[in-house]
Amino acid sequence: MPEPLLRVEDLRTYFATEEGVVRAVDGISFEMYPGERRGVVGESGSGKSVTAMSIMRLIEPPAGNIVTGQIVFQGTNLLELPEDEMQRIRGGKIAMIFQDPMTALNPVYTIGDQLMETIMLHQKVGRAEAREIAIKALEDVQIPNAEQRLGDYPHQFSGGMRQRVMIAMGLSCNPDLLIADEPTTALDVTTQAQIMDLMLNLAEERGTAVMLITHDLGVVAGFCDTVQVMYAGGIVESGTADDIFHNPQHPYTWGLLASMTRLDDARKHRLHSIPGAPPSLIRLPEGCRFRPRCEFAVDVCRQILPVLSPVGDDGRLVACHRAEELDLKTLEVDAASSPQVDADPAEGVSA
Amino acid sequence: MLAYITRRVVYGVVTLLALSVIVFALLQMSGGGPLDRLKLNPRMQPYIQQLTKQWGLDQPVWKQYLTWLRNYVSPCVERSQGCTETIGLHNAIPFVVLAVAAVATVLIVMKVRTYWRAGLILGLWVVALFVAIQNMTIAFDWGISFQGAGPVWDMIFSRVGATFRLGFAALFLALLIGIPLGIYQAIRQYSFFDQLGTTAAFVTFSTPIFVIAIALQLLLALYLEKWTGVKLFYVTGMNSPDYGDMNLLQRLADILQHLTLPALSIALISLAGYSRFQRASMLEVLHSDYLRTAKAKGLPRRKIVVKHALRNALIPIVTLVSLDIAFIVSGAIITESIFGWPGIGRLYINAIQTVDYPVVMSIVMVIGIGIVVMNIVADILYGVMDPRVRYE
Repeated sequence: MPEPLLRVEDLRTYFATEEGVVRAVDGISFEMYPGERRGVVGESGSGKSVTAMSIMRLIEPPAGNIVTGQIVFQGTNLLELPEDEMQRIRGGKIAMIFQDPMTALNPVYTIGDQLMETIMLHQKVGRAEAREIAIKALEDVQIPNAEQRLGDYPHQFSGGMRQRVMIAMGLSCNPDLLIADEPTTALDVTTQAQIMDLMLNLAEERGTAVMLITHDLGVVAGFCDTVQVMYAGGIVESGTADDIFHNPQHPYTWGLLASMTRLDDARKHRLHSIPGAPPSLIRLPEGCRFRPRCEFAVDVCRQILPVLSPVGDDGRLVACHRAEELDLKTLEVDAASSPQVDADPAEGVSA
Repeated sequence: MLAYITRRVVYGVVTLLALSVIVFALLQMSGGGPLDRLKLNPRMQPYIQQLTKQWGLDQPVWKQYLTWLRNYVSPCVERSQGCTETIGLHNAIPFVVLAVAAVATVLIVMKVRTYWRAGLILGLWVVALFVAIQNMTIAFDWGISFQGAGPVWDMIFSRVGATFRLGFAALFLALLIGIPLGIYQAIRQYSFFDQLGTTAAFVTFSTPIFVIAIALQLLLALYLEKWTGVKLFYVTGMNSPDYGDMNLLQRLADILQHLTLPALSIALISLAGYSRFQRASMLEVLHSDYLRTAKAKGLPRRKIVVKHALRNALIPIVTLVSLDIAFIVSGAIITESIFGWPGIGRLYINAIQTVDYPVVMSIVMVIGIGIVVMNIVADILYGVMDPRVRYE
């Protein structure tokens, strides 16, 4: 195995609120390798974005704090870097694309200003050269009349075009890792696939690893090599995209897949849905966090939080006490017989 | 943009006409006329009729209004008392200055793309107005004061300098302290300094200006002199009586000694407002997505705050300040009275108390014109600051 590009170890990011401590990311570990495309999936509030923000160290104290953990990027622990060195990593080595392109660009500066600002910050070039690079970057993301459009303000671009600008900005400094936090969620369906294709092709040309955060399983299936599924601040399952999709081993992953509409599926049964709601991150249930919603839960799930551990020998990691014994692949989804669920509100279904 | 400004000017004229009708009507309805006090004096009886005729008070009200309006907008070549100027080239200086300022504004909007161009425009207009007023030789027939103090035009314009000096000093102080204060409070939200600033702002903002003014007089003038023997500030007037004999440096010191306390009184209240407003608008921007983008790009914190946050957070403040300038033109009525400042505000109070129609009408209209003009200026500046704004 080559040296990992990014190694996250026991990362815990907590937020102090008036109601209590929100454990947004609670002890996750994973590795990413150069050029890897990793999908991070999960419901809202599962800790996907906070993981990304932690890697970029964009969590703002005093409210948010990275309590413990290591984020080792190319051999350096980012959490120990002084702020000025972290600034060289942000935008230079690790770039990030956000969800809503409508608000992610500063409305009072031109696209050119904002692109060139990034370029001049990370590459030691003058204005004229930065301009050339910016034009090239806009051409790469297929924005027509790139040179003229440099002088336009963000409001003169459509949503899809703005996300292209964000991609151009992110990739303009040839980062080693691109974190895309739901980059197509705010766009309409017809442009989603275009933007995704464009982003991933450009990343591949440059050998940039991509961490794609999304709740759209279809996107992950189509574009990612590896997948990690997150639930209530922890990783519940990770492995190659093929394995995860064809052979889910965690009941939550299985539930997510079963609740997906598929074109290749005969209309045999009703769409499955996972009962209940994710737990409050302030009062997490004892034992397995998915237990209150899990239809396969047994006594041990009530007491002990399962750790992410290898299942089989293909690098699959699952956090479930029953991973070895359950055979979810062959399970027939039968929505008619509603699963018996132990949804005890006292144990924290989120308010 | 030209069409937009033209339309705004037309609306402004209509607004001003409505304002003049309302104020004229209110004065007529307020009970008690300008001659009531004279009527109490039996020896004045013979003059009452003469004055009634001379001031046109025997005419129907609508006719009085129309006469007033016609005179108000007529440039005066020969006023009834001592106006002998004729309109010549030299009369055009202030208009040329204003026209140059207007052209310069358009050029700045089109050519200059710097961060501070709105400030540049604002400064340009302050200077232009100052020069224009200094060189104003043309007059309008705003009537003769019923108090026998001469033409209203002269009365107002001899006081404009004093009012501007006080007003702009106060505005300058308020901006210089209030804006950075608000920015700092937003950056260090909920810190001790922020809480202190918030408390202080609420206290000063809710204290009546006459309390602040008198407190400042007591503390910084009276007691300071009593305790230390140093006479640092004066509490009344604009200059010392021996101002004429002073050299330049002494004059400057004298001006500042007189100006500080009244300017500070007004500034304290304005700056409380500005700092709150700036804090709120800065906080909003600090939590915006594009600031997160700026951080994710790897920009240093100072650049994030100054380039990306401040530029956006100043946009709403420009409107606020532009409108405040209109009130400065009208004079700080209470402050001028407390500090014996020879400005428009004090004249206004006097005129209302003596039912001096021409003076009251003229001052109200000056304030009205100021507000209408600054409203238009504020909207134009808004577009200069924010590229999303389109004039249509």
